[in-house]
Amino acid sequence: MSGKTGSTWRGQLISPIAVIAGLLAWEISARLFIDPFFLPPVSVIFLGAVELYQKDLLFVHIGVSMARILTGWVLGSLIAIPIGLIVGSFLTAKRIVDPFIHFLRFIPAIALVTLFIVWFGVGELSKILLVMYATSFIVLINTATGVGTIHENKKLAAQTFGANAWDIFLLVTIPAAMPSIYVGMRLALASSFLVIVAVEMLAAESGLGYLIWTSKLYFKIDWMFVGIFLLGFLGLVSDYAWKMIGKHVLGRFVRESANY
Amino acid sequence: MTIDLNQVAFSYATTQGSGPLILENIDLTVPEGEFLILLGPSGCGKSTLLRLIAGFDSATRGRVTIDDKPIRGPGKDRGMVFQDLTSALYEWLTVRGNVEFGLRISGVKPEERRLRCDEALQMVNLLSHADKFPDALSGGMKQRVQIARMLAMRPSIMLMDEPFASLDAQTRQMLQNQMVSIWNDVGGTAIYVTHDIREALNLGQRIILMSAGPAAGIKHTYDVPMDYPRNQTDPVYIDLLERISLDIEEEVKKVWV
Repeated sequence: MSGKTGSTWRGQLISPIAVIAGLLAWEISARLFIDPFFLPPVSVIFLGAVELYQKDLLFVHIGVSMARILTGWVLGSLIAIPIGLIVGSFLTAKRIVDPFIHFLRFIPAIALVTLFIVWFGVGELSKILLVMYATSFIVLINTATGVGTIHENKKLAAQTFGANAWDIFLLVTIPAAMPSIYVGMRLALASSFLVIVAVEMLAAESGLGYLIWTSKLYFKIDWMFVGIFLLGFLGLVSDYAWKMIGKHVLGRFVRESANY
Repeated sequence: MTIDLNQVAFSYATTQGSGPLILENIDLTVPEGEFLILLGPSGCGKSTLLRLIAGFDSATRGRVTIDDKPIRGPGKDRGMVFQDLTSALYEWLTVRGNVEFGLRISGVKPEERRLRCDEALQMVNLLSHADKFPDALSGGMKQRVQIARMLAMRPSIMLMDEPFASLDAQTRQMLQNQMVSIWNDVGGTAIYVTHDIREALNLGQRIILMSAGPAAGIKHTYDVPMDYPRNQTDPVYIDLLERISLDIEEEVKKVWV
Protein backbone atom coordinates (compact mmCIF):
# COMPACT_ATOMS: atom_id res chain seq x y z
CA MET A 1 0.00 0.00 0.00
CA SER A 2 1.33 3.39 -0.89
CA GLY A 3 0.78 6.23 1.54
CA LYS A 4 -1.40 9.24 0.90
CA THR A 5 1.34 11.44 -0.53
CA GLY A 6 2.45 8.61 -2.82
CA SER A 7 -0.77 8.59 -4.78
CA THR A 8 -1.03 12.30 -5.61
CA TRP A 9 0.89 13.90 -8.50
CA ARG A 10 2.89 15.91 -5.97
CA GLY A 11 3.86 12.65 -4.30
CA GLN A 12 4.91 11.22 -7.66
CA LEU A 13 7.39 14.08 -8.05
CA ILE A 14 9.31 13.36 -4.87
CA SER A 15 11.47 10.58 -6.34
CA PRO A 16 12.54 12.46 -9.52
CA ILE A 17 13.35 15.56 -7.48
CA ALA A 18 15.44 13.49 -5.07
CA VAL A 19 17.35 11.97 -8.02
CA ILE A 20 18.04 15.34 -9.62
CA ALA A 21 19.13 16.80 -6.28
CA GLY A 22 21.48 13.85 -5.75
CA LEU A 23 23.03 14.24 -9.20
CA LEU A 24 23.45 17.99 -8.68
CA ALA A 25 25.14 17.48 -5.34
CA TRP A 26 27.48 14.98 -7.02
CA GLU A 27 28.23 17.38 -9.90
CA ILE A 28 29.01 20.31 -7.60
CA SER A 29 31.08 18.42 -5.07
CA ALA A 30 33.01 16.60 -7.81
CA ARG A 31 33.87 19.96 -9.41
CA LEU A 32 34.75 21.77 -6.20
CA PHE A 33 36.19 19.31 -3.68
CA ILE A 34 37.13 16.00 -5.25
CA ASP A 35 39.95 14.96 -7.55
CA PRO A 36 38.09 14.27 -10.84
CA PHE A 37 40.30 11.25 -11.43
CA PHE A 38 38.68 9.50 -8.48
CA LEU A 39 35.17 10.79 -8.97
CA PRO A 40 34.43 12.61 -12.22
CA PRO A 41 31.42 14.97 -12.28
CA VAL A 42 28.19 13.60 -13.72
CA SER A 43 28.58 15.74 -16.83
CA VAL A 44 31.96 14.18 -17.62
CA ILE A 45 30.50 10.68 -17.18
CA PHE A 46 27.65 11.63 -19.49
CA LEU A 47 30.17 12.84 -22.11
CA GLY A 48 31.98 9.52 -21.67
CA ALA A 49 28.74 7.75 -22.51
CA VAL A 50 28.31 9.94 -25.58
CA GLU A 51 31.85 9.09 -26.62
CA LEU A 52 31.12 5.38 -26.25
CA TYR A 53 27.95 5.84 -28.25
CA GLN A 54 29.85 7.57 -31.06
CA LYS A 55 32.32 4.69 -31.16
CA ASP A 56 29.29 2.35 -31.53
CA LEU A 57 30.27 0.60 -28.31
CA LEU A 58 27.63 1.72 -25.81
CA PHE A 59 24.68 -0.33 -27.02
CA VAL A 60 26.89 -3.27 -27.92
CA HIS A 61 28.02 -3.62 -24.31
CA ILE A 62 24.52 -3.08 -23.00
CA GLY A 63 22.97 -5.50 -25.49
CA VAL A 64 25.54 -8.23 -24.91
CA SER A 65 25.26 -8.11 -21.12
CA MET A 66 21.49 -7.92 -21.11
CA ALA A 67 21.18 -10.79 -23.58
CA ARG A 68 23.36 -12.98 -21.36
CA ILE A 69 21.49 -11.99 -18.20
CA LEU A 70 18.00 -12.44 -19.58
CA THR A 71 18.74 -15.70 -21.42
CA GLY A 72 20.40 -17.24 -18.37
CA TRP A 73 17.73 -15.95 -16.03
CA VAL A 74 14.83 -17.24 -18.10
CA LEU A 75 16.42 -20.63 -18.83
CA GLY A 76 17.59 -21.04 -15.24
CA SER A 77 14.08 -20.30 -13.98
CA LEU A 78 12.50 -22.67 -16.49
CA ILE A 79 14.64 -25.47 -15.12
CA ALA A 80 14.31 -24.49 -11.47
CA ILE A 81 10.53 -24.01 -11.28
CA PRO A 82 9.51 -27.60 -12.15
CA ILE A 83 12.23 -29.02 -9.91
CA GLY A 84 11.13 -26.73 -7.09
CA LEU A 85 7.51 -27.78 -7.56
CA ILE A 86 8.48 -31.45 -7.39
CA VAL A 87 10.86 -31.03 -4.45
CA GLY A 88 8.21 -29.09 -2.56
CA SER A 89 5.52 -31.65 -3.30
CA PHE A 90 7.22 -34.98 -2.71
CA LEU A 91 9.20 -35.77 0.40
CA THR A 92 11.24 -38.46 -1.34
CA ALA A 93 12.26 -36.04 -4.09
CA LYS A 94 13.19 -33.51 -1.43
CA ARG A 95 15.33 -36.04 0.41
CA ILE A 96 17.17 -36.98 -2.77
CA VAL A 97 17.78 -33.48 -4.06
CA ASP A 98 18.19 -31.54 -0.81
CA PRO A 99 21.82 -32.41 0.00
CA PHE A 100 22.93 -31.44 -3.49
CA ILE A 101 20.98 -28.19 -3.45
CA HIS A 102 22.20 -27.06 -0.06
CA PHE A 103 25.80 -27.98 -0.90
CA LEU A 104 25.85 -26.39 -4.34
CA ARG A 105 24.01 -23.22 -3.48
CA PHE A 106 26.84 -22.13 -1.20
CA ILE A 107 29.37 -22.38 -4.01
CA PRO A 108 29.15 -18.92 -5.58
CA ALA A 109 28.88 -18.81 -9.34
CA ILE A 110 31.97 -16.59 -9.30
CA ALA A 111 34.00 -19.49 -7.90
CA LEU A 112 32.99 -21.53 -10.93
CA VAL A 113 33.90 -19.00 -13.64
CA THR A 114 37.29 -20.48 -14.51
CA LEU A 115 35.99 -24.05 -14.31
CA PHE A 116 33.08 -23.29 -16.61
CA ILE A 117 35.46 -21.69 -19.10
CA VAL A 118 37.55 -24.85 -19.10
CA TRP A 119 34.44 -26.97 -19.52
CA PHE A 120 32.35 -24.89 -21.89
CA GLY A 121 34.83 -22.55 -23.57
CA VAL A 122 35.14 -18.77 -23.56
CA GLY A 123 32.02 -18.26 -25.68
CA GLU A 124 28.48 -17.37 -24.71
CA LEU A 125 27.64 -20.86 -23.44
CA SER A 126 29.76 -20.69 -20.30
CA LYS A 127 28.42 -17.25 -19.44
CA ILE A 128 24.78 -18.17 -19.88
CA LEU A 129 25.29 -21.38 -17.93
CA LEU A 130 26.78 -19.42 -15.03
CA VAL A 131 23.81 -17.07 -14.93
CA MET A 132 21.53 -20.12 -15.07
CA TYR A 133 23.46 -21.66 -12.18
CA ALA A 134 23.15 -18.54 -10.05
CA THR A 135 19.48 -18.11 -10.91
CA SER A 136 18.30 -21.65 -10.50
CA PHE A 137 19.09 -22.21 -6.82
CA ILE A 138 17.34 -19.04 -5.76
CA VAL A 139 14.26 -19.81 -7.84
CA LEU A 140 14.27 -23.48 -6.83
CA ILE A 141 14.42 -22.82 -3.10
CA ASN A 142 11.77 -20.12 -3.28
CA THR A 143 9.49 -22.34 -5.34
CA ALA A 144 9.92 -25.34 -3.04
CA THR A 145 9.33 -23.18 0.04
CA GLY A 146 6.22 -21.76 -1.59
CA VAL A 147 4.89 -25.24 -2.26
CA GLY A 148 5.80 -26.40 1.24
CA THR A 149 3.84 -23.61 2.89
CA ILE A 150 0.57 -24.14 1.01
CA HIS A 151 -2.11 -24.68 3.64
CA GLU A 152 -3.35 -28.26 3.91
CA ASN A 153 -6.96 -27.04 3.80
CA LYS A 154 -6.59 -25.94 0.17
CA LYS A 155 -5.73 -29.49 -0.85
CA LEU A 156 -8.29 -31.12 1.45
CA ALA A 157 -10.99 -28.86 0.04
CA ALA A 158 -9.98 -29.87 -3.48
CA GLN A 159 -10.23 -33.53 -2.45
CA THR A 160 -13.81 -33.04 -1.31
CA PHE A 161 -14.47 -31.76 -4.85
CA GLY A 162 -13.17 -35.01 -6.27
CA ALA A 163 -9.75 -33.70 -7.29
CA ASN A 164 -7.03 -36.30 -7.86
CA ALA A 165 -3.33 -35.74 -7.17
CA TRP A 166 -2.73 -34.33 -10.65
CA ASP A 167 -5.70 -31.92 -10.40
CA ILE A 168 -4.37 -30.70 -7.08
CA PHE A 169 -0.85 -30.20 -8.45
CA LEU A 170 -2.13 -28.30 -11.47
CA LEU A 171 -5.00 -26.32 -9.96
CA VAL A 172 -3.87 -25.78 -6.36
CA THR A 173 -0.12 -26.26 -5.95
CA ILE A 174 1.04 -24.27 -8.97
CA PRO A 175 -1.21 -21.23 -8.56
CA ALA A 176 -0.68 -21.18 -4.79
CA ALA A 177 3.11 -21.24 -5.28
CA MET A 178 3.09 -18.45 -7.87
CA PRO A 179 3.90 -15.61 -5.45
CA SER A 180 6.98 -17.47 -4.20
CA ILE A 181 8.11 -18.28 -7.73
CA TYR A 182 7.66 -14.67 -8.70
CA VAL A 183 9.66 -13.33 -5.75
CA GLY A 184 12.36 -15.94 -6.30
CA MET A 185 12.77 -14.84 -9.91
CA ARG A 186 12.99 -11.23 -8.83
CA LEU A 187 15.79 -12.00 -6.38
CA ALA A 188 17.52 -14.15 -8.98
CA LEU A 189 17.46 -11.29 -11.46
CA ALA A 190 19.66 -9.24 -9.14
CA SER A 191 22.18 -12.04 -8.69
CA SER A 192 22.27 -12.54 -12.46
CA PHE A 193 23.71 -9.04 -12.74
CA LEU A 194 26.30 -9.88 -10.11
CA VAL A 195 27.44 -13.01 -11.91
CA ILE A 196 27.58 -11.61 -15.40
CA VAL A 197 29.83 -8.72 -14.37
CA ALA A 198 32.25 -11.10 -12.70
CA VAL A 199 32.37 -13.35 -15.75
CA GLU A 200 32.79 -10.49 -18.16
CA MET A 201 35.65 -9.06 -16.15
CA LEU A 202 37.50 -12.35 -16.24
CA ALA A 203 36.76 -13.71 -19.67
CA ALA A 204 34.91 -11.64 -22.22
CA GLU A 205 35.48 -9.36 -25.17
CA SER A 206 32.32 -7.38 -24.61
CA GLY A 207 29.69 -6.51 -22.02
CA LEU A 208 29.52 -4.03 -19.17
CA GLY A 209 31.85 -6.03 -16.94
CA TYR A 210 34.40 -6.02 -19.75
CA LEU A 211 33.92 -2.26 -20.22
CA ILE A 212 34.54 -1.55 -16.53
CA TRP A 213 37.57 -3.83 -16.40
CA THR A 214 39.29 -2.62 -19.54
CA SER A 215 38.62 1.07 -18.84
CA LYS A 216 41.32 0.99 -16.21
CA LEU A 217 43.87 0.01 -18.87
CA TYR A 218 43.22 3.29 -20.67
CA PHE A 219 42.73 5.29 -17.48
CA LYS A 220 39.23 6.00 -18.72
CA ILE A 221 37.70 6.48 -15.31
CA ASP A 222 34.62 8.10 -16.88
CA TRP A 223 33.96 4.97 -18.97
CA MET A 224 34.31 2.91 -15.84
CA PHE A 225 31.59 5.04 -14.27
CA VAL A 226 29.45 4.70 -17.37
CA GLY A 227 29.58 0.91 -16.93
CA ILE A 228 28.87 1.09 -13.20
CA PHE A 229 26.04 3.54 -13.69
CA LEU A 230 24.51 1.44 -16.47
CA LEU A 231 24.47 -1.66 -14.26
CA GLY A 232 22.44 0.16 -11.66
CA PHE A 233 20.19 1.70 -14.25
CA LEU A 234 19.56 -1.51 -16.21
CA GLY A 235 18.99 -3.40 -12.99
CA LEU A 236 16.43 -0.85 -11.91
CA VAL A 237 14.68 -0.96 -15.28
CA SER A 238 14.61 -4.78 -15.43
CA ASP A 239 13.33 -5.00 -11.87
CA TYR A 240 10.66 -2.43 -12.64
CA ALA A 241 9.67 -4.31 -15.80
CA TRP A 242 9.34 -7.55 -13.79
CA LYS A 243 7.29 -5.73 -11.20
CA MET A 244 4.96 -4.40 -13.90
CA ILE A 245 4.64 -7.87 -15.41
CA GLY A 246 3.69 -9.09 -11.94
CA LYS A 247 1.14 -6.35 -11.44
CA HIS A 248 -0.50 -6.32 -14.84
CA VAL A 249 0.08 -9.74 -16.43
CA LEU A 250 0.30 -12.19 -13.54
CA GLY A 251 -2.01 -10.03 -11.44
CA ARG A 252 -4.14 -12.25 -9.26
CA PHE A 253 -1.59 -15.03 -9.23
CA VAL A 254 1.12 -13.03 -7.49
CA ARG A 255 -1.18 -10.71 -5.54
CA GLU A 256 0.64 -8.54 -2.98
CA SER A 257 4.07 -9.90 -3.96
CA ALA A 258 4.35 -7.30 -6.74
CA ASN A 259 3.54 -4.39 -4.46
CA TYR A 260 7.07 -3.54 -3.34
CA MET B 1 -27.06 -42.10 3.44
CA THR B 2 -26.49 -43.33 6.95
CA ILE B 3 -23.18 -42.72 8.64
CA ASP B 4 -22.04 -45.31 11.14
CA LEU B 5 -19.14 -45.19 13.55
CA ASN B 6 -18.45 -48.45 15.34
CA GLN B 7 -16.00 -48.62 18.27
CA VAL B 8 -13.84 -45.98 16.65
CA ALA B 9 -10.52 -44.96 18.15
CA PHE B 10 -8.00 -42.58 16.70
CA SER B 11 -4.42 -41.55 17.35
CA TYR B 12 -1.98 -39.74 15.11
CA ALA B 13 0.86 -41.87 13.85
CA THR B 14 4.24 -40.75 15.12
CA THR B 15 7.74 -41.96 14.32
CA GLN B 16 7.55 -44.21 17.40
CA GLY B 17 4.37 -45.90 16.23
CA SER B 18 1.03 -44.47 17.22
CA GLY B 19 0.70 -41.55 19.62
CA PRO B 20 -1.74 -41.17 22.52
CA LEU B 21 -5.40 -41.85 21.76
CA ILE B 22 -7.40 -38.77 20.85
CA LEU B 23 -10.70 -40.58 20.41
CA GLU B 24 -11.81 -43.86 21.95
CA ASN B 25 -14.95 -46.03 21.95
CA ILE B 26 -16.97 -43.85 19.61
CA ASP B 27 -20.29 -45.43 18.63
CA LEU B 28 -22.49 -43.15 16.58
CA THR B 29 -25.16 -43.49 13.94
CA VAL B 30 -26.24 -40.47 11.93
CA PRO B 31 -29.44 -41.12 9.97
CA GLU B 32 -29.95 -39.46 6.61
CA GLY B 33 -31.24 -35.91 6.82
CA GLU B 34 -30.31 -35.23 10.42
CA PHE B 35 -28.76 -31.98 11.64
CA LEU B 36 -26.27 -33.30 14.17
CA ILE B 37 -24.08 -31.24 16.49
CA LEU B 38 -20.74 -32.35 17.87
CA LEU B 39 -20.31 -30.27 21.00
CA GLY B 40 -17.42 -30.28 23.40
CA PRO B 41 -14.64 -28.31 25.07
CA SER B 42 -11.74 -27.30 22.85
CA GLY B 43 -9.21 -30.04 22.28
CA CYS B 44 -11.74 -32.82 22.86
CA GLY B 45 -11.35 -34.28 19.39
CA LYS B 46 -14.63 -33.19 17.85
CA SER B 47 -12.85 -31.82 14.77
CA THR B 48 -10.88 -35.05 14.57
CA LEU B 49 -14.13 -36.99 14.54
CA LEU B 50 -15.37 -34.80 11.69
CA ARG B 51 -12.11 -35.40 9.78
CA LEU B 52 -12.67 -39.16 10.09
CA ILE B 53 -16.08 -38.80 8.48
CA ALA B 54 -14.64 -36.48 5.83
CA GLY B 55 -12.01 -39.11 5.10
CA PHE B 56 -9.07 -36.77 5.78
CA ASP B 57 -7.85 -39.19 8.45
CA SER B 58 -8.70 -42.82 8.95
CA ALA B 59 -9.66 -44.53 12.18
CA THR B 60 -6.88 -46.29 14.08
CA ARG B 61 -9.41 -48.85 15.32
CA GLY B 62 -13.06 -49.50 14.55
CA ARG B 63 -15.14 -48.83 11.46
CA VAL B 64 -16.42 -45.65 9.87
CA THR B 65 -18.99 -46.42 7.17
CA ILE B 66 -21.51 -44.68 4.94
CA ASP B 67 -24.36 -47.01 3.95
CA ASP B 68 -22.22 -49.91 5.20
CA LYS B 69 -19.36 -49.00 2.88
CA PRO B 70 -16.14 -48.11 4.71
CA ILE B 71 -14.88 -44.56 4.06
CA ARG B 72 -11.74 -44.51 1.96
CA GLY B 73 -10.62 -40.92 1.72
CA PRO B 74 -12.58 -37.78 0.90
CA GLY B 75 -15.34 -37.88 -1.69
CA LYS B 76 -17.86 -35.69 -3.47
CA ASP B 77 -20.69 -37.10 -1.35
CA ARG B 78 -19.27 -35.17 1.63
CA GLY B 79 -18.73 -31.41 1.52
CA MET B 80 -16.67 -29.55 4.09
CA VAL B 81 -16.66 -26.03 5.51
CA PHE B 82 -13.39 -25.32 7.28
CA GLN B 83 -13.10 -23.21 10.42
CA ASP B 84 -10.31 -21.03 9.07
CA LEU B 85 -11.53 -18.07 7.05
CA THR B 86 -8.78 -17.82 4.48
CA SER B 87 -6.73 -20.99 4.19
CA ALA B 88 -9.31 -23.12 2.39
CA LEU B 89 -10.29 -20.56 -0.25
CA TYR B 90 -8.40 -20.14 -3.52
CA GLU B 91 -7.38 -16.51 -3.35
CA TRP B 92 -6.34 -16.38 -7.02
CA LEU B 93 -9.92 -17.18 -8.08
CA THR B 94 -12.99 -14.96 -7.83
CA VAL B 95 -15.93 -15.98 -5.68
CA ARG B 96 -17.44 -17.52 -8.81
CA GLY B 97 -14.16 -19.26 -9.60
CA ASN B 98 -14.07 -20.73 -6.11
CA VAL B 99 -17.66 -21.95 -6.29
CA GLU B 100 -17.19 -23.42 -9.77
CA PHE B 101 -13.85 -25.02 -8.89
CA GLY B 102 -15.32 -28.37 -7.88
CA LEU B 103 -17.79 -28.41 -10.77
CA ARG B 104 -14.95 -27.74 -13.20
CA ILE B 105 -12.95 -30.66 -11.83
CA SER B 106 -16.04 -32.84 -12.06
CA GLY B 107 -16.39 -31.96 -15.74
CA VAL B 108 -19.71 -30.12 -15.44
CA LYS B 109 -20.46 -28.20 -18.64
CA PRO B 110 -20.00 -24.39 -18.55
CA GLU B 111 -23.71 -23.51 -18.82
CA GLU B 112 -24.73 -25.87 -16.05
CA ARG B 113 -21.72 -24.81 -14.00
CA ARG B 114 -22.85 -21.22 -14.17
CA LEU B 115 -26.39 -22.17 -13.28
CA ARG B 116 -25.40 -24.23 -10.27
CA CYS B 117 -22.94 -21.58 -9.13
CA ASP B 118 -25.58 -18.85 -9.33
CA GLU B 119 -28.02 -21.04 -7.45
CA ALA B 120 -25.50 -21.72 -4.67
CA LEU B 121 -24.50 -18.06 -4.42
CA GLN B 122 -28.16 -17.09 -4.30
CA MET B 123 -28.68 -19.38 -1.31
CA VAL B 124 -25.98 -17.57 0.68
CA ASN B 125 -26.89 -14.11 -0.68
CA LEU B 126 -23.56 -13.60 -2.42
CA LEU B 127 -24.66 -13.39 -6.04
CA SER B 128 -23.84 -9.68 -6.22
CA HIS B 129 -20.29 -10.42 -5.03
CA ALA B 130 -19.59 -13.16 -7.56
CA ASP B 131 -16.77 -11.32 -9.32
CA LYS B 132 -14.90 -10.23 -6.19
CA PHE B 133 -11.77 -11.91 -4.94
CA PRO B 134 -11.78 -13.51 -1.48
CA ASP B 135 -9.45 -10.92 0.05
CA ALA B 136 -12.05 -8.23 -0.68
CA LEU B 137 -14.66 -10.03 1.44
CA SER B 138 -15.49 -9.87 5.14
CA GLY B 139 -15.05 -12.94 7.34
CA GLY B 140 -18.74 -13.80 7.23
CA MET B 141 -18.79 -13.52 3.45
CA LYS B 142 -15.74 -15.77 3.13
CA GLN B 143 -17.50 -18.46 5.13
CA ARG B 144 -20.53 -18.06 2.88
CA VAL B 145 -18.27 -18.63 -0.11
CA GLN B 146 -17.13 -21.86 1.52
CA ILE B 147 -20.76 -22.85 2.09
CA ALA B 148 -21.74 -21.96 -1.49
CA ARG B 149 -18.78 -23.90 -2.80
CA MET B 150 -19.99 -26.93 -0.90
CA LEU B 151 -23.64 -26.48 -1.94
CA ALA B 152 -22.73 -26.23 -5.62
CA MET B 153 -21.41 -29.79 -5.42
CA ARG B 154 -24.76 -30.96 -3.96
CA PRO B 155 -23.20 -33.31 -1.39
CA SER B 156 -25.54 -35.55 0.56
CA ILE B 157 -23.54 -34.90 3.72
CA MET B 158 -22.46 -31.42 4.81
CA LEU B 159 -19.60 -31.29 7.30
CA MET B 160 -18.92 -28.04 9.10
CA ASP B 161 -16.04 -27.44 11.49
CA GLU B 162 -16.88 -24.44 13.68
CA PRO B 163 -17.51 -22.37 10.55
CA PHE B 164 -18.74 -19.28 12.39
CA ALA B 165 -16.47 -19.43 15.44
CA SER B 166 -14.31 -16.45 14.48
CA LEU B 167 -17.18 -14.18 13.43
CA ASP B 168 -18.89 -11.49 15.48
CA ALA B 169 -22.07 -12.38 17.39
CA GLN B 170 -24.51 -10.64 15.00
CA THR B 171 -23.04 -12.20 11.89
CA ARG B 172 -22.93 -15.57 13.59
CA GLN B 173 -26.61 -15.45 14.53
CA MET B 174 -27.59 -14.39 11.02
CA LEU B 175 -25.56 -17.18 9.42
CA GLN B 176 -26.96 -19.74 11.84
CA ASN B 177 -30.47 -18.90 10.66
CA GLN B 178 -29.31 -18.98 7.06
CA MET B 179 -27.69 -22.37 7.62
CA VAL B 180 -30.90 -23.87 8.98
CA SER B 181 -32.94 -22.65 6.02
CA ILE B 182 -30.31 -23.93 3.57
CA TRP B 183 -30.36 -27.33 5.22
CA ASN B 184 -34.17 -27.26 5.04
CA ASP B 185 -34.04 -26.41 1.34
CA VAL B 186 -31.38 -28.80 0.10
CA GLY B 187 -32.11 -31.69 2.44
CA GLY B 188 -29.31 -34.02 3.36
CA THR B 189 -27.32 -34.63 6.49
CA ALA B 190 -25.48 -31.88 8.34
CA ILE B 191 -22.79 -32.53 10.93
CA TYR B 192 -21.71 -29.37 12.67
CA VAL B 193 -18.86 -29.00 15.16
CA THR B 194 -19.05 -26.27 17.77
CA HIS B 195 -18.03 -25.42 21.33
CA ASP B 196 -20.88 -22.91 21.66
CA ILE B 197 -23.92 -24.35 23.47
CA ARG B 198 -26.36 -21.75 22.15
CA GLU B 199 -25.17 -22.34 18.61
CA ALA B 200 -25.70 -26.06 19.16
CA LEU B 201 -29.25 -25.42 20.40
CA ASN B 202 -30.04 -23.02 17.54
CA LEU B 203 -28.96 -25.48 14.87
CA GLY B 204 -29.12 -29.09 15.95
CA GLN B 205 -31.82 -31.72 16.08
CA ARG B 206 -29.49 -33.83 18.18
CA ILE B 207 -26.45 -32.79 20.18
CA ILE B 208 -23.57 -35.13 20.88
CA LEU B 209 -21.66 -33.91 23.91
CA MET B 210 -18.11 -35.16 23.94
CA SER B 211 -15.95 -35.72 26.99
CA ALA B 212 -12.63 -33.93 27.42
CA GLY B 213 -9.60 -35.55 25.86
CA PRO B 214 -7.26 -37.31 25.69
CA ALA B 215 -9.09 -40.45 24.61
CA ALA B 216 -12.32 -38.49 24.30
CA GLY B 217 -15.62 -40.23 23.82
CA ILE B 218 -19.31 -39.46 23.65
CA LYS B 219 -20.50 -38.35 27.08
CA HIS B 220 -24.20 -37.73 26.56
CA THR B 221 -26.66 -37.27 23.74
CA TYR B 222 -29.36 -34.60 23.83
CA ASP B 223 -32.38 -34.42 21.54
CA VAL B 224 -33.70 -30.97 20.80
CA PRO B 225 -37.47 -31.42 20.33
CA MET B 226 -38.11 -27.91 19.02
CA ASP B 227 -39.12 -26.28 15.74
CA TYR B 228 -36.93 -23.83 13.82
CA PRO B 229 -36.21 -21.01 14.34
CA ARG B 230 -35.44 -21.82 17.94
CA ASN B 231 -37.05 -19.60 20.53
CA GLN B 232 -34.37 -18.88 23.11
CA THR B 233 -36.96 -18.02 25.77
CA ASP B 234 -38.80 -21.32 25.42
CA PRO B 235 -38.59 -23.33 28.70
CA VAL B 236 -37.38 -26.38 26.76
CA TYR B 237 -34.49 -24.32 25.32
CA ILE B 238 -33.59 -22.88 28.71
CA ASP B 239 -33.75 -26.27 30.39
CA LEU B 240 -31.47 -27.85 27.78
CA LEU B 241 -29.10 -24.89 27.95
CA GLU B 242 -28.72 -25.34 31.71
CA ARG B 243 -28.29 -29.10 31.62
CA ILE B 244 -25.75 -29.01 28.84
CA SER B 245 -23.89 -26.12 30.50
CA LEU B 246 -23.46 -28.11 33.70
CA ASP B 247 -22.51 -31.21 31.75
CA ILE B 248 -19.85 -29.43 29.69
CA GLU B 249 -18.54 -27.55 32.73
CA GLU B 250 -17.53 -30.87 34.26
CA GLU B 251 -15.45 -31.61 31.21
CA VAL B 252 -13.83 -28.18 31.08
CA LYS B 253 -12.88 -28.53 34.75
CA LYS B 254 -11.14 -31.83 34.03
CA VAL B 255 -8.83 -30.05 31.62
CA TRP B 256 -8.24 -27.06 33.88
CA VAL B 257 -7.68 -28.71 37.23
